[in-house]
Amino acid sequence: MLEFNNSTPLTLGVELELMIVNRRDYNLTRGSDDLLLLIDRQPHGYDIKPEITQGMIEIGTAIHQGSDTMLQELQGIRALLVSSAQKLNLGLAGGGSHPFQHWSEQQIYPKERYQLVSELYGYLAKQFTVYGQHIHIGCPDGDAAIRLSHYLARYIPHFIALSASSPFYQGMDTLFQTSRLTSVNAFPLSGCMPCVENWTQFNEYFQHMAGLGIVASMKDFYWDIRPKPEYGTVEIRICDTPLDIVTPTLLAAYAQMLAHRCLEDGWHDIQAAHYHTYNYNRFQACRFGFDGVLVDGAARQQTGLQEDLLSTLNALQPQARALNCEKELSLLRERALKRQSDSQWLRAIYRASGSLSEVVRRQSEHWMYGSNA
Amino acid sequence: MSQLPWHSLSLNPLAAFGILLTLGVIGGQIANRAGRLPAITGYVLTGLIIGPASLHLLNQELLSAADLFVNLALGLALFESGRRVDLHWLRVERTLLLTTLCYCLAVFAALCALLLQGGLGWQASSMMAALGMATSPIVILEMLRETRAEGQVSERLTTATALSSLLSVIVFAIALGSAHLQNQHSTEDGILSPAWLILGSSLLGLLAGLLAIALNRWLGSQQRQRQTVLLFGLIALLVGLSVMLNTLPSLALLVFGLATRNLRGGHTVSEPGLLSGSHFFFVAFFVAAGAQLAPQTLAAYWPLALSYLLLRSAIPMLCWWLLAPQNCLSRQRGLWLGLALNPLSGGSAVLVSMSTLALGPDAAAFTGTMMAVFVISELAGPLLTRLALRRAGDLPPED
Repeated sequence: MLEFNNSTPLTLGVELELMIVNRRDYNLTRGSDDLLLLIDRQPHGYDIKPEITQGMIEIGTAIHQGSDTMLQELQGIRALLVSSAQKLNLGLAGGGSHPFQHWSEQQIYPKERYQLVSELYGYLAKQFTVYGQHIHIGCPDGDAAIRLSHYLARYIPHFIALSASSPFYQGMDTLFQTSRLTSVNAFPLSGCMPCVENWTQFNEYFQHMAGLGIVASMKDFYWDIRPKPEYGTVEIRICDTPLDIVTPTLLAAYAQMLAHRCLEDGWHDIQAAHYHTYNYNRFQACRFGFDGVLVDGAARQQTGLQEDLLSTLNALQPQARALNCEKELSLLRERALKRQSDSQWLRAIYRASGSLSEVVRRQSEHWMYGSNA
Repeated sequence: MSQLPWHSLSLNPLAAFGILLTLGVIGGQIANRAGRLPAITGYVLTGLIIGPASLHLLNQELLSAADLFVNLALGLALFESGRRVDLHWLRVERTLLLTTLCYCLAVFAALCALLLQGGLGWQASSMMAALGMATSPIVILEMLRETRAEGQVSERLTTATALSSLLSVIVFAIALGSAHLQNQHSTEDGILSPAWLILGSSLLGLLAGLLAIALNRWLGSQQRQRQTVLLFGLIALLVGLSVMLNTLPSLALLVFGLATRNLRGGHTVSEPGLLSGSHFFFVAFFVAAGAQLAPQTLAAYWPLALSYLLLRSAIPMLCWWLLAPQNCLSRQRGLWLGLALNPLSGGSAVLVSMSTLALGPDAAAFTGTMMAVFVISELAGPLLTRLALRRAGDLPPED
């Protein structure tokens, strides 16, 4: 039986997976151990840990009421990481996938869980060297977490378009705005949560799957959105890691505003029919970003993703006021209006330089030394 | 029938290069499979077996004819080694620079003392000590490629290797000038020669770097393959020009690499990296190096050669062990880094031949001792580097 640890509603936290690259040709490098060792020489109290392969590192924030304090914490984490990485001649970068690394060259981090994942999934584990942002939103109880998980599914294409930063994969331009999700899709337990209506039903589903020997814990589900009972949160796992440290806080603010509206309105329109178009809309956002087309199955109509995002943002004014994140809302609107995405920026660098190594160099400079504005 | 070709069969340079490559690869594989030795050791052993010292399949004349490929291999390795020196990093991590300076100078002083004690003159001792400071870029780069080593020990190893090579050729050039003066050659030989060797080589390297960046920009970003061919061409040109102008090709190429890595716009000059395409030349280089070895020199010079090698192994190990914490390493990893620096520079043989002209009566002892040093170092160096990298934890776990 999974117990949902209640948390303060609408509190926030984010986790960011980052690339560790060498500063010679900017390929991924097995630097996580050396970096963690150096960081842990000084007392810090931040959550910085290894990830599935040794060219990755994950940072996580504490629990925040709003995105402004979250940004301050991210700045602190970045300063610590940068000073250590500089001493080791390592680069750190955001972005959903490394543009030219080869999956077969990656090494699984020597930790029991990762070794088990590698044994079970074979090459998929190494191909999972992709980098995402996870957003946690506090929920008052398990039932609310289930409702919020279903509610947010409708807005998943928005998060994809706003965070897209993986146009290149294995040395090629994929023509997608985000190629990262293709690696996630290969896992059998990816996709979306089943259409359960409350925490009791979710528990029944979980027990059933555990009884069949398919899962042992919630970590075995690679869903785009999943309840996280031990934290008392709903976790959005769809976003690429953005190229800077401001965008993650904007995405968190967007999730917070949507959650506020869901919980405040007592939304409960859980229907399997809503998921009929889920994968199609998700694909549209991955492939075309802001230019994608979203299909509303119930209304039998199509809307441009940018238009849908802008109208959602406009409707969130009251929540932005209530949560004191009007600045974040305005920045999100500006980006949506300009169709401003990290993927475009990366492609522009590649067009100018013809070098994927140069692309990563700029990515790394941007994450490590970019402005906080 | 006396005019049939096999009655007067002799190898031409191309056939000699073919033999270097073919037998080298076979020897490398046998060493690797049978003895779990590094492929480099196999290449060197193959050279030793087929060279003038053993089967005499390749004679000195053919080895000289294959010099073109050997010099190109050395050029590629030195260029790549220069590109591993990141001045931005050295500004942040000054300890790395200081540690390298510290162990190089300590090696120089200790070797000088040893060789003077061993009966060599001041000039020969200082030149041999200068050669002892440098770690071989070609061996280190090839070992890193072969073992797929990555990590802080490897990162510091490549930088220390390039810096030690730079220091070594500079000190060598000064020692060479001093030897000319002592042996009452002309003042020009004594003063102008080292100045020309150091400044001329550096200037050549810098000009090549600027030219590479400018031409790279002119070719445009979509011409990666042409840029790679261009770079090969510039490296070959620089090796040739250095020889023609009597400068030090090793210094010129190190500066060339360093310039392209650190000057504005030089970052993409070598993309994709040259190393994967250089393997051909590297194999030929190691087989030729093996063929040039003269094991018979060990009989007369082994005590001095062994002491020389022990000293130049022990001092870097001690220095890196002492300064490991300041270099973000554990003491143990520092020790292994010191050991990994063991391989003696592959370009030293060229410098040895330059020195003999300046040394006069000490030349025979100098050459003999250095040849004995090379025999041990060429065979043991790669093995020690691999051992050190493994123990330092820089090798990936075997699949």
